[in-house]
Amino acid sequence: MTMTKEDIKYTGIKVENVAKGKADWYLFNKLCKSCYLCVAKCPVKCLHPIEEPNKDNSELGLFETPVVKPDLEKCIGCGTCQMTCPDCAIKVQRK
Amino acid sequence: MANVLEVKPDLAQAQCAEVGASKFCPGCGHGTILKTLAQVIDELNLNERAVFGCDIGCSLLSWNYMNIDTVQTHHGRTTPVIYGVTRANPGTVGIAYMGDGGGLAIGSQHLVNASVRGENMLILLANNTNYGMTGGQMSPTTMPGQVTETTPYGRDCSITGKPAKGAEMIAAIADPEKSYVARSTMGNVRGLKKVLKAALENVANGGFSFVEVLSVCPNNWRTNNIKTLERLKEMEEFFEVKEFITPAKKEEV
Ligand SMILES: Cc1ncc(C[n+]2csc(CCOP(=O)(O)OP(=O)(O)O)c2C)c(N)n1
Ligand code: SF4
Ligand SMILES: [Mg+2]
Repeated sequence: MTMTKEDIKYTGIKVENVAKGKADWYLFNKLCKSCYLCVAKCPVKCLHPIEEPNKDNSELGLFETPVVKPDLEKCIGCGTCQMTCPDCAIKVQRK
Repeated sequence: MANVLEVKPDLAQAQCAEVGASKFCPGCGHGTILKTLAQVIDELNLNERAVFGCDIGCSLLSWNYMNIDTVQTHHGRTTPVIYGVTRANPGTVGIAYMGDGGGLAIGSQHLVNASVRGENMLILLANNTNYGMTGGQMSPTTMPGQVTETTPYGRDCSITGKPAKGAEMIAAIADPEKSYVARSTMGNVRGLKKVLKAALENVANGGFSFVEVLSVCPNNWRTNNIKTLERLKEMEEFFEVKEFITPAKKEEV
């Protein structure tokens, strides 16, 4: 039996209420390869590699390198990071 | 235990979810191009009609990327394989995906003849200015002065000749009646999406489309995120990003 998209569980991090509560920001850590193209492309430069990643693995990517996280205060929820990510590891969900 | 998130990634229907992360290196342009292609296939509702062929080179790493019928071919032979498929099955939307080496070096004979004949297919060429899979050797599109494995002092055009410009070449020989020819860049994903949409629409209506996408190969370029995007900017200046032949422009004439 083949798996459907709904069957697959994704782990990662959630940053709630970015852009003054207008959006939630998600990162699927098993899709992130830490290329940091999103860091370079973010128009307000609010994304940064996590300096001391969590021990529970949720902050390490596919190759066990640190993933990124936005600065809650600075993020404007524009979705540039989602569009830039070659591996669909980021989702910015507007509410 | 890591958090299980309540949302799923925004994967297109035309993208395989069960294989997990793609096989490309971190930051590779193939991922951006294919993700955009998959979104366009969804939007045009071509999931049942599309057939995807990938070449040898890093494009072959997409053999399980698409959630549509896929065939993996020999180096440079994706073009004839795909137009074989579309000739035998009229109505299919054939997509031949290849690198600059596959399209402009070993497969250039097929590229030339397919464009002159106006085969009903999309040729999608990812130009990363080197032979990515084999370790970053000089390719026909390597830029003047660019350091690669086989041009350690930078490409010297007085010895190697000038870089090939695929889209210009195809625009000069393609049948203007039914062709769409453009060069786009992964640096502008919205622009890329528009170009791919126009290209696939033209193929769905029986035409021939050629799209060259300026892409990146951070692994062989040995560049970090900032330097990768800087190099891409240089490429956008050297290779003109524009639509060379469009079905709309043809109507104006
Ligand atoms: C007939 C044949 N000749 C040569 C090769 C070796 N080869 C494998 S990949 C490659 C270059 C691919 O470069 P490109 O098409 O630019 O794709 P990229 O990896 O850069 O995406 C070559 C020469 C081969 N596999 N088959
Ligand atoms: S070698 Fe280059 S083209 Fe190939 S997957 Fe890696 S980054 Fe992409
Ligand atoms: Mg190449």
